[in-house]
Amino acid sequence: MKKTHSIKLPAKLSAKGEHEPAHQAIWSGTISFSLVAIPVHLVRAVEPGRISFRMLHTHDNSPLLRRMVCPEEEKIIPPEEIVRGFETAQGRYILITDEELESVTPERSRTIEIIEFVDMEEIDPVYYDHPYYLIPSKGGEKSYTLLAEVMNRTSKAGLAKFILGEQEYLVAVKSAEGVLSMITLHYSDEVLGDDDISNETTKTDNEEKNRIKKLIRENTVEYDPDKYADERSGKILDLLRKKARTKGYVKAPEIEMEEEGEGPGDLVALLRKSMGKVKKADD
Amino acid sequence: MTKNFIEIQGQRLSLTNLEKILYPAYGFTKAHILDYYRKVAKHIIPHLKDRALTLKRYPDGTDKEYFYEKRCPSHRPAWVKTTDVIQDDGGRRTFCVVNDLESLIWVENLASLELHVPLAKAYSPNTPDSVVFDLDPGDHADILHCARVALILRDLLGELGLSSYVKTSGQKGLHVLIPLNNSETTFQDTKQFSKSTAEVMQTNYPDLVTAKQSKELRKGKVFINWSQNDAKKTMICVYSLRAREKPFVSFPLAWKELEDAERDRDRTKLHILYSDALERVEKAGDLFAEVLGKKQRLPHLKKSSTAETQRTQTE
Repeated sequence: MKKTHSIKLPAKLSAKGEHEPAHQAIWSGTISFSLVAIPVHLVRAVEPGRISFRMLHTHDNSPLLRRMVCPEEEKIIPPEEIVRGFETAQGRYILITDEELESVTPERSRTIEIIEFVDMEEIDPVYYDHPYYLIPSKGGEKSYTLLAEVMNRTSKAGLAKFILGEQEYLVAVKSAEGVLSMITLHYSDEVLGDDDISNETTKTDNEEKNRIKKLIRENTVEYDPDKYADERSGKILDLLRKKARTKGYVKAPEIEMEEEGEGPGDLVALLRKSMGKVKKADD
Repeated sequence: MTKNFIEIQGQRLSLTNLEKILYPAYGFTKAHILDYYRKVAKHIIPHLKDRALTLKRYPDGTDKEYFYEKRCPSHRPAWVKTTDVIQDDGGRRTFCVVNDLESLIWVENLASLELHVPLAKAYSPNTPDSVVFDLDPGDHADILHCARVALILRDLLGELGLSSYVKTSGQKGLHVLIPLNNSETTFQDTKQFSKSTAEVMQTNYPDLVTAKQSKELRKGKVFINWSQNDAKKTMICVYSLRAREKPFVSFPLAWKELEDAERDRDRTKLHILYSDALERVEKAGDLFAEVLGKKQRLPHLKKSSTAETQRTQTE
């Protein structure tokens, strides 16, 4: 298991402390196959290193909020006046309530049950969605190692159905160097076909083919993910560091819930007066 | 999975994994938990009644992963009451409501060790029944510091003509509540009142109190968390268990007990175990009954009309 190059904002430059610590479990349960059930937890295998910005008001650098606005009435719409609609044709919607949506939401599940095994090579990478690592929970280490080893030797991947955050996923569980990982797969109807793209009628010249083959051979190396880095992110980071050094920071006004300041004068006066009496009694 | 069937009020319930140990350091099983809630039901149900309940579930025990379940599970029996709450994104969410023993046992069978409730009832979500001061000790401060703050707070509120009540959080802190039980006070009022009170406390006891959340500022002090006075927030319900190494309870205390504990520097009296809790309610009944019944008004709102006229006169 090799960690690919990741670009992380240094804590001091980070806009928000929003990144979850690496290897924080996002799910725990068991992975089961036939009669074996291994307690495991799931952690993210990748964390996109994209640098994000907050949008601020130019006047005072207050962070801005997103609000639902009705273009018809030109006003912010409160939550209780909002409903979901599925657009069937321009301007035509089917309304769906939360209850209806919930009634088709799968129950939380605590198992990843492997139904069958396939050769990993058979799964076209176009089906790959999100990768995760499976880590043995307490008491599961031994059977985990066993499953990981066996699966590695056979280079098979286990297919399973898995529910995470109200969504049902098809996943492939695979093993590499003693670590089980899991990748969510796209369903076949999500994958767009490539039939329109390939063009078998066009004739190709053999000599031309050989020339390209040779070129590929000459440029073939071993894949080293560390060799590549997101250059734009690197440049943005450099820019941020430079600006932090030269220009420093701007401060957003502190937002104290709804009301700023002391509260109504008579309340504060009343509290101060009573406080004075309490303190005197205290002495 | 082992199953046991019981019948309460004519409702048949299947209880699962009764022998499963959910407080591993204490050997406390799900059967113990169900038994605790069954015995305390008479006292806790009035405090849960008609409130959108948040379940904090520990399916594999207090040392394992937990999750907050706000949405009432759709596999609930038909007789479990629910209420719909409108969310920030405009959606509605269905919460469980526990108004009877059978519903309480059903939610506990889900290993909902902790029961959290909002300060308002489901049918009047913007009208808090009480003001709460959540006293939370920072690093190097403890529950005795909280006791001291609670006692000062009690005196201050007393000067304002307000009765207040105190319970342990079941963790490290204390909760001081002012019952209101009137339909006019809004969360905006209670938040403003609690914030101003916390700030006056901070000004007068700067070494003991902070009204700011910041971890750094809380060191050695008690944070008076006034921001709990919000329609969106929930608090641990009185008599609920807490998920700690031992089955401690969020439990009401008499002010005298707090005074004694502070005088004797005895923090052990401020951590109430489930067994003490059951023994005490058996003897003394619900010390928090007044929180549900006593009608009070915040002083600045009571006089708001006269204050208004005064202000216009002086300006």
